[in-house]
Amino acid sequence: MMTHSFPARSARALFATVTLTANATDDRTPATLTPTRRDAAVQAIGLSKRYGTFDALADLDLTISAGEVFGLLGPNGAGKTTFIRTLLGFLFPTGGRVLVNGIDPVINPVAVRGQVSYLPGDARLPREMRGLGVLRFFADMQAQGDLRRSLEIADRLELDLKRFVGFMSTGMRQKLAIAAVMGSHAPILILDEPTANLDPTVRGDVLEMVQEAQDEGRTVIFSSHVLSEIEDVCDRVAFLRRGRLVREQTLNSLKQRHRIVARIDRDEQIEIPPEFRELVENLTQDGDRIVIDTASDLAPLLPWLQFLDLRQMRVEAFGLRAVYDLIHRGEASPHGKESAE
Amino acid sequence: MIHYVLVRKYAAQSLLLWSSCALALFSFAWVRVWVVSLLDMGQFRTILEQFRDFERFAPIGFDALFTHTGRVGMTFDEPIVVLCTVVWCISRGSDVVSGELGRGTLEMVLSQAISRTTLLLSHAFVSILGLLGLALLLWAGIAAGVGTTTVSETMPTPSIRIPFTAIEIPLTTAEPAKEVFLMSERVDWQTFGTGVFSLFALGFFLLGLSTLFSSMDRYRWRTVGAAITVYVIQLVMFGLGKATERLSWLRATSFFNCYRPQKQIAMVVNQDTLAPWRFTGGESDSWYGPIVYPLILLVCGMVFYVSAILIFRKRDLPAPL
Repeated sequence: MMTHSFPARSARALFATVTLTANATDDRTPATLTPTRRDAAVQAIGLSKRYGTFDALADLDLTISAGEVFGLLGPNGAGKTTFIRTLLGFLFPTGGRVLVNGIDPVINPVAVRGQVSYLPGDARLPREMRGLGVLRFFADMQAQGDLRRSLEIADRLELDLKRFVGFMSTGMRQKLAIAAVMGSHAPILILDEPTANLDPTVRGDVLEMVQEAQDEGRTVIFSSHVLSEIEDVCDRVAFLRRGRLVREQTLNSLKQRHRIVARIDRDEQIEIPPEFRELVENLTQDGDRIVIDTASDLAPLLPWLQFLDLRQMRVEAFGLRAVYDLIHRGEASPHGKESAE
Repeated sequence: MIHYVLVRKYAAQSLLLWSSCALALFSFAWVRVWVVSLLDMGQFRTILEQFRDFERFAPIGFDALFTHTGRVGMTFDEPIVVLCTVVWCISRGSDVVSGELGRGTLEMVLSQAISRTTLLLSHAFVSILGLLGLALLLWAGIAAGVGTTTVSETMPTPSIRIPFTAIEIPLTTAEPAKEVFLMSERVDWQTFGTGVFSLFALGFFLLGLSTLFSSMDRYRWRTVGAAITVYVIQLVMFGLGKATERLSWLRATSFFNCYRPQKQIAMVVNQDTLAPWRFTGGESDSWYGPIVYPLILLVCGMVFYVSAILIFRKRDLPAPL
């Protein structure tokens, strides 16, 4: 098979830029992102949860820094909720451990839950209570509950607190749960699909509240299927698949990434020059159609792209959608930077 | 160990059920005392004598029932009383874990800074207090009935017996005199304290049992089903044990054998007030003192509760369906 090489001199000329850019990227494989950190709000070390032969979580290493908004992404059954429930002490790990502000929920679940305010994916509230009663109940129960703040949030979400929960719509119940959870001053907020069943306006309000929580210095763990929301509010995101952490991605670096779709008039397989391999996340060639996903900034790759003589070239911002597809639709191997050699 | 906010929530949650059971038990106890007063003792004896063959199925010998105290004491074995107690105990016991899990409300409650033990004990506190309230209200209903009901008794007419014959000749041809008494002159409401204690012990046992099942399960309907299954099986075993001597050993394996309020009330009447509370000197058919039986129920209930706490603390809590 013929291969197409990039001249070595051009590569050397660009080497300095490439090195700088590669170092700037925060996309790393999971193993390099799990140091023992004192400032970690949440730290999972080899965390596993097995049901019979099914691994709900498998050897998960993950660190969430204090003060960041951390996204959890993955299809249904990926292990997001299992991870959240394990760190709350609802589930007992079958291997490894998780620490929340340095506390192991298996050993001291009460202390952990004192640090956390949690909104479940399917928040169900006592149907026999009125809205106001629910807010009062949770404000009294929470270690750092604040009824006044919950009432403010309820007002902001235009919630009718006189109504019984049993007579509320799904969206209203979700808003009530949000008011109960977000009212707390707990340093860690865990929101499992918080915007499910909400209209676009309220979604916007919730995302604003997440931002405000971060401004107060709180850590937010945000699990959602809505990629645009994750992109809007998260600093970093973890992709889970079949209980495994397959990738971590900082959103800032993602914004530097692009997908290049073009036609190429060569029959031979394109080979990525060694000096550019770090800069290319994925390369797919199908006939005369070529798709290149950059791993970071586009600029250092331009000389090579120019050398390839591409035509009908289209450059798209590389959003979470593309990363998600790469990982979950098997367009690329999850960890590595795949090239079609 | 218990959380007052949770206690308040559970109390509010169970108030309607408790009020219904309380009303039923109080009014039933009162009405039943009144019904006792309506039926003349002589007539009652005549009716009961017809069923002598089935005496072994009764919780107590018929002879003990030919007193007003004995007849009022039957209240503790009335289906309505047992049903209300069972309904309260199984519905509250089954609610604590599997009920909340099934409704999906456990998740947000338990994500607060409380331990699972605190949650279960707070629930148990309300349930047990409710049970105690129901038992006491039944007693109050009896006391109210005894205090407000009058009973009329036919006074025996003076007669003379002819020597060496069984013939009695009345000395008067007038209608037999009837005298009206307050029920309280014949019945002391305090006598029934021991029955109330027995009822409480039975309820505590059932509360513990259904709490234990609930702590293991995630579906309330299944918890209720399991508790009722045990109840029915034990009832059948107890019935079979009474039906035939060959299966009398079955009685000892049924918890119903430990629920004997009428026998204990009879002991108060026939012996003294403290007789049912002794560890020795039991009835002829029992090995232990009368207090041992309700204590067995209480100890079993306690064991169930402790087991429920241990299981609940160690189990995974699945996400709501």
